[in-house]
This record gives sequence, structure tokens and C-alpha cells, in this order.
Amino acid sequence: MTTAVAGHARTTDQRADETGTARRPRRSWAPYLFISPFYLLYVLFMLIPIAVSLWLSLTEWVGLGAPHWVGLRNYRNLFTDISFHRALGNTAVFVLVAVCVVVPLALLIAQALNARGLRARDLWRTAYFVPIVVSPILVALIFGLLFDRQFGLLNSILRALFGTGGVDWLGDPGLAKVSIALVMLWRWTGYLTVFFLAGLQNVPKELYEAAALDGAGRLRTFTTVTLPALKPVTAFVVVTSFIGAAQIFEEPYLLTGGGPAESTLSVTMFIYRAAFQRQQFGYAAAAAVVLFVLVFGLSQLFNRLLGIGRASA
Amino acid sequence: MMRTRIPLYGTLVLLLLAFLAPLLWALSGSFKPRGDIFAYPPRLLPDPFTLDNYQRLFSGQPFWRWFLMSTVVALVATTVSVFVCALAGYGFAKFRFAGKRLLFGVMFSSLSVPFAVILVPLFVILVKTGLGSPWFALIVPWVAPAFGIFMMQQYIVQSVPDSVLEAARIDGASEFGIFRTIVLPLLRPSLGALAVWQFLQSYNSFLWPLVLVSDSSQYTLPLGLQTLFVSEQRQYDLVLAGAVIAVVPAVALFVVLRKQLLEGLSTGAVKG
Repeated sequence: MTTAVAGHARTTDQRADETGTARRPRRSWAPYLFISPFYLLYVLFMLIPIAVSLWLSLTEWVGLGAPHWVGLRNYRNLFTDISFHRALGNTAVFVLVAVCVVVPLALLIAQALNARGLRARDLWRTAYFVPIVVSPILVALIFGLLFDRQFGLLNSILRALFGTGGVDWLGDPGLAKVSIALVMLWRWTGYLTVFFLAGLQNVPKELYEAAALDGAGRLRTFTTVTLPALKPVTAFVVVTSFIGAAQIFEEPYLLTGGGPAESTLSVTMFIYRAAFQRQQFGYAAAAAVVLFVLVFGLSQLFNRLLGIGRASA
Repeated sequence: MMRTRIPLYGTLVLLLLAFLAPLLWALSGSFKPRGDIFAYPPRLLPDPFTLDNYQRLFSGQPFWRWFLMSTVVALVATTVSVFVCALAGYGFAKFRFAGKRLLFGVMFSSLSVPFAVILVPLFVILVKTGLGSPWFALIVPWVAPAFGIFMMQQYIVQSVPDSVLEAARIDGASEFGIFRTIVLPLLRPSLGALAVWQFLQSYNSFLWPLVLVSDSSQYTLPLGLQTLFVSEQRQYDLVLAGAVIAVVPAVALFVVLRKQLLEGLSTGAVKG
């Protein structure tokens, strides 16, 4: 996130210059003391674990005794491990759903909530946000009940409407992915709406008035005024959704156990399974390093492309 | 005018149903006898109404112990993390110092580290060093969130005037004294927002407790409920009751502080 940060730091510095804080000539330890608790915890619980992960990934270890150095063997094995390929592929599908379905839908809803003269805007916004407040266990439970093959509400409705139910929502490889995607949609859309709505409300009214004077229609106003103004929010939402979806775990773990036939196995589930069900700590660490490289690398790339922070610089 | 509004409100109501109906259905289901939970057509109001699920949950499961575990861990994690974030957010918002850009970048980039990456090593480290006691280890992942620091920093830049800080410095106040007596009170709304968010993160967390806690007497709520959920006969009735109680503190906290939370969350995003 170098761009974001560079852009960002520049704004604060400028502001500081204008107001005088920056003129403080004394060299002071104060700022370092203020940020040191964070960095202490950061080193202990983030940097050291990442380093340990890198080292463990080069070993074979069942969790007991001394890890046995194996070099790059774990990575070579991952390379040919069909389960890992599936986990990567499934996770990619979930990421695509998050970025290409959930995010645009959240934008549409925010657009509706931003309608002029809408009553009880806060009430709608609050209600839509509730799913993200709820524990994943309750979410899994509810959707488990909805998707149940025999008794599920969805199948009951289908039976009532079309006479045939018995759709195996969680038991069919293709449908299981769809079901997980539906749960993601339900959980995340309202949350992301909050960000878009805040962005929309920050668009200067004059821009819309100018567009109206130019005789721009709805669609044109949306593409020439709204979308450009929303760029920083969109960038933020896309990157957070990407990072969130790339580590999806609870939904598949609780609803499908990663099945059927690993059709919903995510990378995080793969790591969990390798380490804590199969005692392959080194192998799990290698998968974690791959996930780290992919997510970290891609989010840096997105930040650069989407220019997070540049708007404020 | 009225007619043009109908599609808008219609859409919003449909969405409201889609988002809230599953939750209301769960609430209602927790008061239904087991057989009725799956009844079709689904009844919105339980008939007959029964507290049996709750009674069996309380008598047959250490439910309140799970509840206490989750709540205490979340409260401690929240307190620590909010303080750490306020300190660091202030440091980044109101000081100029060598290495600031780099340090901010390092902090910010930790947002892009998936938790699964540190899951295995964190577990190994805490267990090997004997710090694996749930009371300590369960709060660890939540104490230094970059997201919170970023949120605080954004808020402080906007709402804490430099002139006040300067005046206090001229009066000879210590830097930490300024933070404690001037900055913290000014931050109250956003501290509330961050606190709710952090509480929810810890309270609802599942993966880390799942990995860490093996002793069922130290289960958190999600773990405890999960054991009922995945048991031989899925005990939907009991889990529904438990999940309803579990969700009460989260939703209550959210409802009380929703304005600050919703606005606080979006501050960083809007400003980019």
C-alpha cells in the first residue's frame, strides 16, 4: 500500500505545515512512544509469526519434536496437490463473486438509499448492516436450515410452487458454490453499502446541478459525476472485499465442510485442515505463504491501479 | 411525486425482508417445538410457543460459561485495542517524525495480511512458549488492528485542532497528559465506534478459538454452539436458542452505538 500511504502521509504533513504543528523544532521521543505499543504488538504477533511461517514452510513437522528441514519440498508438493489447486480455484471464485457481484450490488443499494427525500434513511442503512453484526454460527445455522435438502425452506417453497423440490443445495458441487456465494451476498452487501452511501453523500451537490444544467440523463450523470467521485470509496471497498473473500473460512467450514468433493474448500480451510486435522504444520505453513504472497501482492497491485490515497493528495 | 416513489420503497422493503427475514425466522424458531422448525408453510409466530429449547440449553449445556468466556475475552481485547489504536492514531495524526511515512506504510500494509497466514505460527508460538492459555491467547489477534489505527488517525486529523494542543504545550502539559486530558475526550464518539467494531470482531470470532481451545470448559460461545450444530443429530432447536441469546449483546451494542459505528467505519474509506 505504498501509494496509499505516500499520498496519505503527504496530506497530513501539509495540513501540519499549515497549522504549525510541524514547526515544533525540538526532536521529541513523544511520537515514537505513542506508536510503540502498536509496533511492539505488531512485531510480536505479526512479523514474528510471518517469519516463523516462512521457516516452518521449509520444514516437515507434525507438531511434536523438532521440525525436519526439507527445503522447498512443501512448495513442490503444493504445486502438484489437486486439493490445493481446487482450494485456490474455489477461493478465486468467491473473490470474484465478492468483487463482481457483491460490490456492484452494494453500490446500487447505496444509490437507492441516497435518493433525494428518502425517509428513514438511517433505519434502512442500519437494518441492511445487521447481517454483518451477527455471529457466523447463526448465519451458518440459518442458511443450513434454508438449504436443507429434505426440510429446507427453499426446497419447501420450490415444492409448493413447482411441485418439485429436493434440490441438493449443499450436496451438489456446483450448487454448493452458489449457496456459499448466496451467504456471502447476504452477509456482506449491507456492510459495503454503508461505505458507498457515505461516499455518495459526500459528492458535492453542485456537481449534480451542473450535470442537470448540461442536460445529462440519469445514466450519464452516474458515469460522469457519481462514479468518478466514488473512486476512492470504490477502491477501498474493492480491496477490502478482495482481502475478506480471499480468506473465507466460516461459511464453507460450517455449511459444507469444504465439500462435496472439495468444491467449496477454501485456501484458509486447506491451511486449517493441513495443520490441525492432519498435523502437517510445515505443509500448512507453505500454503499460508502462498496465500500471503497472492493476497499481499495483489492488494498492493490493486492499490496502485486504483490509486488509493491519491485522491486526497 | 408519490407514484414515482413506489418502486424505490418497494425495492427497499424487499431488501429489508431479504436481510432481516432469516434472522426473524431464527428468532421465532427458537420458541418453536423441534418439529415445527421445519414445518411448511413456515409460521412467522411460534404456535405453540415454548421456552423448552432455552430450558434444555441452560440445563444440558454450560451455556453461561461459554457466554462469560466470550464476553470477558471480547471486553479485554476491546479495551486494549482501542487504547493502542488511539495512541498510535494520535502519534500518526499530530506529529512529524523521521520514518513516519515508512512506519505508517508498514502499519497500513498489515491490513493485507490474511489471518490464515499467521494462524499456524501464532498457534505454535503461543503453545510452545506456554502462553497458550485461552485467557491470554484468545485476545492476542485483536489487540493491534491496523484498521483501528487508520480510523483513529483519520478522525484525529479532522477533529482535533492543533491550536488546542499548542496551547496545552505552552502551558507546560506533558505529551501524554495532553493525550489523556484533551485528545481522548475529543475522541469519544470514534472510540465508541471502534470499540463496538472490535468487540464484534472478537466476540464473533470463530477460526482462532476453534484452533486454540480444546478444553470444552473454556469454549467461547461460537465454539460451544458449533459442537451442538455438528453433533450427530444436528440440534437445531438448541442452537437456535443459543444463537439468539448470543446475538443479543452484539445487536444491542450495535443498535445503541450504530450512528457512530456506521459513520466511523466509513470515515477512512471516504477520504481515501
